[in-house]
Amino acid sequence: MEFKELPPVKDQIMKCVRCGKCRSVCPVFAEIRNETAAPRGHVFMVQMLRDGIVEPDEAVAERLTTCLLCETCSVNCPSGIDIHELNAAARSYIYEKNPSLAKELVFDSLWTRPGLLRTSTKFLWGAQKTGLQSLARAIGLTKILPGDLPRAERMLTNVPVRSGRSQVSEINPARGERKYRVGYFLGCATDMFHPSVARATVDILTWHGCEVIVPRDTKCCGQPHIANGKMETARSLAAHNVKIFNSYDLDYIVTDCASCSAALSHKNMKFLLGGLKIEDQAMAFSEKAMDLTVFLTEVLDIEVPNAEIARKVKVTWHDPCHLANAQGVKQAPRELLKRIPGVEFVEMANANSCCGGSGTYCITHHDLSMKILDKKMERAMETGASKLVTCCPSCIMQLNFGAQRHKWNAEVVHIVDLLSPFYKALPKKAASQ
Amino acid sequence: MEVKDIRNQLVKMLGRDKVLTEELDLMYYSYDSSFLTKLEPGKPTAVVLPTSTEEVQKVVRFAYENDIVIVPRGAGTGETGGCIAFKGGIVLDLSNWDEIVEIDASNMQVIVRPGVIHARLNEALAKYNLFFPPDPGSSQMCTVGGMVANNASGLRAVKYGCTEQYILGLEVVLSNGDVMMTGGMNARVIKNVSGLNLTKLMVGSEGVLGIITQIRLRCWPKPKARGIAMAVYDNLDDAPATVLEVYQAGILPSGIEILDSSAIMAVNQFKPEINLPDAEAILLIEVDGNPPSVDYEGNAIAEIAGQRARSVEWATDPKRMAELWEGRSVTATAAARVRADGSRIFAGEDISIPLSKVADVLRAIRALGNKYGIKVVNYGHIGDGNVHTAPVINPENPEEVEKVLQLVHEIHLLAIEMQGSTTGEHGVGAVRRQYAELEHGLAVEYMKGIKQTFDPKGIMNPEKLF
Ligand SMILES: Cc1cc2nc3c(=O)[nH]c(=O)nc-3n(C[C@H](O)[C@H](O)[C@H](O)COP(=O)(O)OP(=O)(O)OC[C@H]3O[C@@H](n4cnc5c(N)ncnc54)[C@H](O)[C@@H]3O)c2cc1C
Ligand code: SF4
Ligand code: SF4
Repeated sequence: MEFKELPPVKDQIMKCVRCGKCRSVCPVFAEIRNETAAPRGHVFMVQMLRDGIVEPDEAVAERLTTCLLCETCSVNCPSGIDIHELNAAARSYIYEKNPSLAKELVFDSLWTRPGLLRTSTKFLWGAQKTGLQSLARAIGLTKILPGDLPRAERMLTNVPVRSGRSQVSEINPARGERKYRVGYFLGCATDMFHPSVARATVDILTWHGCEVIVPRDTKCCGQPHIANGKMETARSLAAHNVKIFNSYDLDYIVTDCASCSAALSHKNMKFLLGGLKIEDQAMAFSEKAMDLTVFLTEVLDIEVPNAEIARKVKVTWHDPCHLANAQGVKQAPRELLKRIPGVEFVEMANANSCCGGSGTYCITHHDLSMKILDKKMERAMETGASKLVTCCPSCIMQLNFGAQRHKWNAEVVHIVDLLSPFYKALPKKAASQ
Repeated sequence: MEVKDIRNQLVKMLGRDKVLTEELDLMYYSYDSSFLTKLEPGKPTAVVLPTSTEEVQKVVRFAYENDIVIVPRGAGTGETGGCIAFKGGIVLDLSNWDEIVEIDASNMQVIVRPGVIHARLNEALAKYNLFFPPDPGSSQMCTVGGMVANNASGLRAVKYGCTEQYILGLEVVLSNGDVMMTGGMNARVIKNVSGLNLTKLMVGSEGVLGIITQIRLRCWPKPKARGIAMAVYDNLDDAPATVLEVYQAGILPSGIEILDSSAIMAVNQFKPEINLPDAEAILLIEVDGNPPSVDYEGNAIAEIAGQRARSVEWATDPKRMAELWEGRSVTATAAARVRADGSRIFAGEDISIPLSKVADVLRAIRALGNKYGIKVVNYGHIGDGNVHTAPVINPENPEEVEKVLQLVHEIHLLAIEMQGSTTGEHGVGAVRRQYAELEHGLAVEYMKGIKQTFDPKGIMNPEKLF
């Protein structure tokens, strides 16, 4: 679809009254502090692009990409403008017009082919030994990682040798009576960096009566592509995943990654596939899709087993933007935390402020990202928690780095990691057929 | 002086980080919240981001020596194009300079730099049980400097007045770069009548007389309790009549807001769960103070309003108060969403009219909307006659734009005809200066004389205000 015809571009730009409400909530504006970084500034610049007053060139892309796509502005905009969608659409338009600016190799080849991506985890693993810079050179990553490589290097999470997917079966029978047939969307980052989360998610779901299907040939959810101006690629990834999941007869589709669940949501599917032939299929898909925290609390309404093994732990929660802003999900993870035996939950101030990670942003805009992170860490540390919990691998990486940077000895964990021990200690329950 | 040289000089003076000179960056400074700047954006020659009086002085002195226009800017939430350099010039973005210099709680005052955001100031004062009462709807985003320059106020102006009542003194950089202290800037007193009142002159001067670089504000003790009454009317005239009767009973509420039928409809369309009763008008009356007086006044209001209203509810329970107030708090948002293929615009949005004529004016605005085939949503601070009109159009449809500009012109003329004013709180800027003669007659000549004294070269935010 032509840039000008995209729904947000066509229908929403005119709705901006430039009230500035978005200025007051944007974490990036709070650091850069001039109008070029204000969300309404982005809306304005997208309008200039649409009207041909500015050229779709690198200079415009540079301004637009200061944005984290955290969606804080969008949820606060009185006129209901999806500011982040406008921004993403404009990036994509600019890259289409300037293929040389785009991050072709990484996003078009590496990140679309699961096999290759998995091989690359081995590269990443190697990178921890040999240095990110040499790796980046080897696979052409320098295009998205300008300048800040030595610092970015320190941010790499330990990469496990075996991926998550290699540790879970395609079909995992429910234990006891089967309640639902659930498709598990295993995202790239969980797969690569948190295989234990993938395993535990399957364990938890099956224990609570779900038959869990982990389709073998799913692809990336497309979030990194949206952020990096590869809308067409994001579209084809989404379409691919929709078809794969729709080929199973599923009651629900869940994922333990907040960014993935945002990507699978109705809103994002509409953004990517609205108006295309596949729209109806995509809507049918997204109607079943939800974040794991919502599924566990609202659909399964779980009671965590094995309460007797609980140990007291003080935890605080970081709202991933893709969960709290993109999907409006704030209550479910808190509710889930409260159901975990032994957990004392303390709310941190501004729990839903962005951590500044935002996928590759922490590398492409390292200094800015660190300033945003430092504010987050201050508020997290004030809680006195010994675990900082969230459900987005990108946030985990960033917050982990923050904890190191601030010499905070709390552990940053995925919410599934908190649940996992209770399920590991379980007696075997018969699997249903 | 060549544009290139102006930019180079500014960079030399303040450093790369504090000067924007790239054409693309300057475009972002071509708008504020006014509809005017959507139609006619105005790009500056350069933008500077000063954070000290000395830096402001340097820039202003340079502009003075080289006859370059200077336009101060806060957060750019003004609705009049006031902070726009329509014909080029140096924009001073003061929103970075947000230091709270001193909270002098024992003397009930605070000193701030111009870029402090209103809501942040009140958060800081709350720790001392103090507050700076004017409360614009833009509290989360507008700067105190912008509030002083526009003499801003808000829905509690009916009791607490406008910004001007709280300004004890100012530090102002004049057009030649000199620094002037007005009133009690260097004193710590609350009462002070010595000298001509230059402080009041600067408040509301919209950047045409000087750059406000420091503000000494008086703070008030924070009230301990609040309550809200909601009254629902079948007859529009009964709403202002209630307001008058409340005053006559010796009660001064902290806010009296009206939603007319257009606003009620907009709110219900936006959030059906709020479910405002279908009516000609709804009044929301807020009382604050100490608990016994709040109770007493609330009950009295309920009784007075009950004589005319279809229904009245008085609440002090925080949850219920929030529910009652929700309709009002989402009105602006609701107005923005009345039309899927359109938007409310900020134009003709702020007239002020005598209380005795509120009902007539609301009816007249509705009739004007019908005449031009434009939907209008009316709400506002009826307690002081300040009506906010939100015309809803497709701002990218030239025919609708032309019509709405005529509508807005008629609304402004209506205000003057009704012995009101074209603006109750948002100011004049570029959009309403055409009405200056009509509103002020001879006084405009004296305003120009004052401007000439302060700004002989005419470089300070020209073509604004009058
Ligand atoms: C959604 C919304 C709601 C609003 N609600 C209200 C309301 O309830 N009440 C109300 O009064 N207003 C309201 N306004 C209007 C506006 O927010 C106020 O007028 C506010 O005071 C402007 O502050 P600013 O920092 O944005 O100033 P700007 O818009 O940047 O500037 C306003 C004017 O002040 C001048 N100026 C700014 N800083 C200085 C300085 N330091 N020295 C000299 N001149 C300076 C500028 O040149 C310009 O003329 C609203 C606006 C919006 C968008
Ligand atoms: S909050 Fe929405 S309407 Fe207001 S300036 Fe930002 S994008 Fe525009
Ligand atoms: S998405 Fe986040 S970073 Fe981007 S403009 Fe909006 S608030 Fe700012």
